[in-house]
Amino acid sequence: MKKKFPVISLLTLTAIVILGLACSPMMTKDPLYMDLAHCNEAPGKEFLFGTDEMGRDIFSMIWYGGRISLTVGFLAALISTMLAVLVGSVSGCASARIDGVLMRLTELILSVPGLLLTVSLQAVFGRADVYSLSVVIGLTGWMGMAKVVRTEVVQLGNTDFVLAAKCLGGRFFHVLFRHLAPNLFPSVLFMAVMHVRNAIVAEAALSFMGLGLPVEVVSWGSMLSLAERALFSHAWWIIVIPGMFLTGTLLCLTNLGEYMRGSANKRHSNLG
Amino acid sequence: MTNRHLIKMVNNIGKFLISVLVLSVLVFTLSRLAPGDPLYAYYGERVEKMSVEEQDQARERLGLQAPLFTQYVRWLQRAVHGDFGISYQYKTDVKEVIAAGIVNTLLLGGLGFVLIFALALFLGLFCAWREDRLADRVVCRIGTVTSCIPEFWLSLLLLLIFSVWLDWLPSSGAYAAGGGGSLPDRAAHLVLPLSVVVLGHLWYYAFQVRNRLLEEVRADYVLLARMKGLSGRRVLYRHCLRGALPSYLSMMAIALPHILGGTYVVETVFSYPGIGKLAYESARYQDYNLLMVVSLLTGTLVILCNLTARLVNERIDPRMGVRSVSAGGEVRRL
Amino acid sequence: MDVLTVKNLSVSFFRTEGEIEALKNVSFTLREGEILAVMGKTGCGKSVLCKSILKLLPDIAKIKTGHIYIRGEEITGYSEKQMQGLRGRFFSMVFQNPMTALNPCMSVGEQIGEMVRLRRPEFSGRERKKRVAELMELVGLDHAGERARQYPFQLSGGMAQRCVIAIALAAEPAVLFADEATTALDATVQAQILELLLKLRERTGMSIVLVTHNPGVAARTADRVALMRDGELYRIGDVEEIFDESTPN
Repeated sequence: MKKKFPVISLLTLTAIVILGLACSPMMTKDPLYMDLAHCNEAPGKEFLFGTDEMGRDIFSMIWYGGRISLTVGFLAALISTMLAVLVGSVSGCASARIDGVLMRLTELILSVPGLLLTVSLQAVFGRADVYSLSVVIGLTGWMGMAKVVRTEVVQLGNTDFVLAAKCLGGRFFHVLFRHLAPNLFPSVLFMAVMHVRNAIVAEAALSFMGLGLPVEVVSWGSMLSLAERALFSHAWWIIVIPGMFLTGTLLCLTNLGEYMRGSANKRHSNLG
Repeated sequence: MTNRHLIKMVNNIGKFLISVLVLSVLVFTLSRLAPGDPLYAYYGERVEKMSVEEQDQARERLGLQAPLFTQYVRWLQRAVHGDFGISYQYKTDVKEVIAAGIVNTLLLGGLGFVLIFALALFLGLFCAWREDRLADRVVCRIGTVTSCIPEFWLSLLLLLIFSVWLDWLPSSGAYAAGGGGSLPDRAAHLVLPLSVVVLGHLWYYAFQVRNRLLEEVRADYVLLARMKGLSGRRVLYRHCLRGALPSYLSMMAIALPHILGGTYVVETVFSYPGIGKLAYESARYQDYNLLMVVSLLTGTLVILCNLTARLVNERIDPRMGVRSVSAGGEVRRL
Repeated sequence: MDVLTVKNLSVSFFRTEGEIEALKNVSFTLREGEILAVMGKTGCGKSVLCKSILKLLPDIAKIKTGHIYIRGEEITGYSEKQMQGLRGRFFSMVFQNPMTALNPCMSVGEQIGEMVRLRRPEFSGRERKKRVAELMELVGLDHAGERARQYPFQLSGGMAQRCVIAIALAAEPAVLFADEATTALDATVQAQILELLLKLRERTGMSIVLVTHNPGVAARTADRVALMRDGELYRIGDVEEIFDESTPN
């Protein structure tokens, strides 16, 4: 069963990214302007997606905020992927001692509750803006992938072709770059896409809980942090619309990631 | 039990205790990193009205003036005797505060855990049996979409639909205030949060089961099993499931702390008074004592479950006659 | 009476690259109690032939034309359910690689026992255990009690293959397919297994289709030999005939 290339997902994602980056033509109103005369208005002609309780136009906020959510997502994923690959490969290549120490450390950090870790790290930075949040999310998200990378590196190290390379005199870095890296690439790519996805959700969840970006900074997450109050004013558009965009983006990323994982088993099923 | 087993057990227990100790140090230091004044947690807004001397005195009373190391040792000494201090926010013994929350979270997380893994097995089998046919494809699609819905948003949506619009289910709490927590009442309050917990995690595990089974189905022994005259479905249930079981069990072990500890989002949205909510509050408002205990609880659970998963992998899977690539295991080095 | 008759069997695999003809118009008969060796290079369709008769081919393979009869009755159009009735009763198979053919998560005793249970549902637990021990002894496995509790990875190739044969025998088949049953074993063990097969044929009177690419194996064990090449069965005759003429394959 060969996987079909997720055209729709790629197109949708590209559309969102481009529209987010070049959001000016899309935005009908200034997303930061609080039009107090029109708070909590339902979607209509003037405000395509309605307004939130501070009078900001949701339609414009989606594109403006999308840019921020995506930026945080990609930046954080970049950080966590790099860290994971670094720690994982070093751990897999190094002696048993170092490997053990590194993995124990990773597991230890994993056992610290995520909330605490996030709050403390944010405290180190002092402020909560896009870049510090990206770093925080990046620093809290690399552990799982590091373990996987380490396992793969160890397994690769045991393969015959690496053994052959070493027998033929290949030094450490040569083996690393020429043989290990190309084989790691597909799974690293897949995990990187998953990291972007997780980072975007993390930003949204954190901002929603008040631990991420403040309400003044527009992102899909911070838009949703007002959602709880929207429940009581029955302003469904504040809740539904940003969430749909969020879910849609995540869906596209997931489809892309799954495609990158490679086609399914080449053998056929024996169940008949 | 042989000597070797005994030594191994002592070894494992030792590693476990050390991990918990190191965890406590980590948590202690990390919690002090956050800005904000624990005095706020204790006195609330009154802090601002207190003079600097009064604040100093308060800090002295709470033992916050001493150097970090001393504070930690003091805490450790008391903790070993079971005294974990007082929660600044609630002004009662930390243990009492937690006791109330634990039951609620165990209900939510525990039930969720059981439901998730029962359903995941069923769904995984269902999809594996109908691999690539319409039913499988539809379920996979639906599953992927549900797994992409953020938990907190799903919670909001469900609240919007079932609490606000339809008014079928209560919107907050674990039981009606003053209601005393009868079974139907608790159940009604559990329905929405439980649905979110289950829906949020179900597909991830069901998909793993499905894929694992599909791997097993491609093995040669399936052909031999069919040669015996067994129907395809029987082979799937009797043979392939066995092969997938060890990894399923270790997946369960690792998922337990993740699910139990991840309820804080759901608990916050539904105002469900569980550990998650306490964890959030204590982290946010520097309620040090409470934070320590909650973090240690969840962290210890993580460590325990990781250990269990590793043990399961080493013992139960007969294929692991050769040592597996467990973390830090004795595998050939590069 | 011929126990198995195959007439004009054609089987193709339908892959994304196109149709691959695995069997082209194959015909042969198998007599009661005879050992027929099917020889040919790798990829000539020997295994596909066995699996086609048992209908154990993957979804992408289809029987295009042909007829299969067992003791005169046509089974070509049999449904999966009907085939399940034949497998493990009339037909049985020994596979090439015993280490992958056995379920790694079940003890060998359990796996043999499962076949006994399917073939003889009327046996009580104790009778079943006895039968398993009998079978293990028959195939030359010592310490049957202990062995039965062992897992495949704890056994050597030869022992594991004997277990697979025990399973095949538990079916009390009329026709046994041995698909490269000795290829994965070293020469001494190979000889032992072939001796075993001959002995079993004596005892039970079952017919054996011995698939192999090794002419030595065929010469030693078979009554008749069928030669295959590129999906075609182009020659079939008594073993002396075939080997006397030293036909290259």
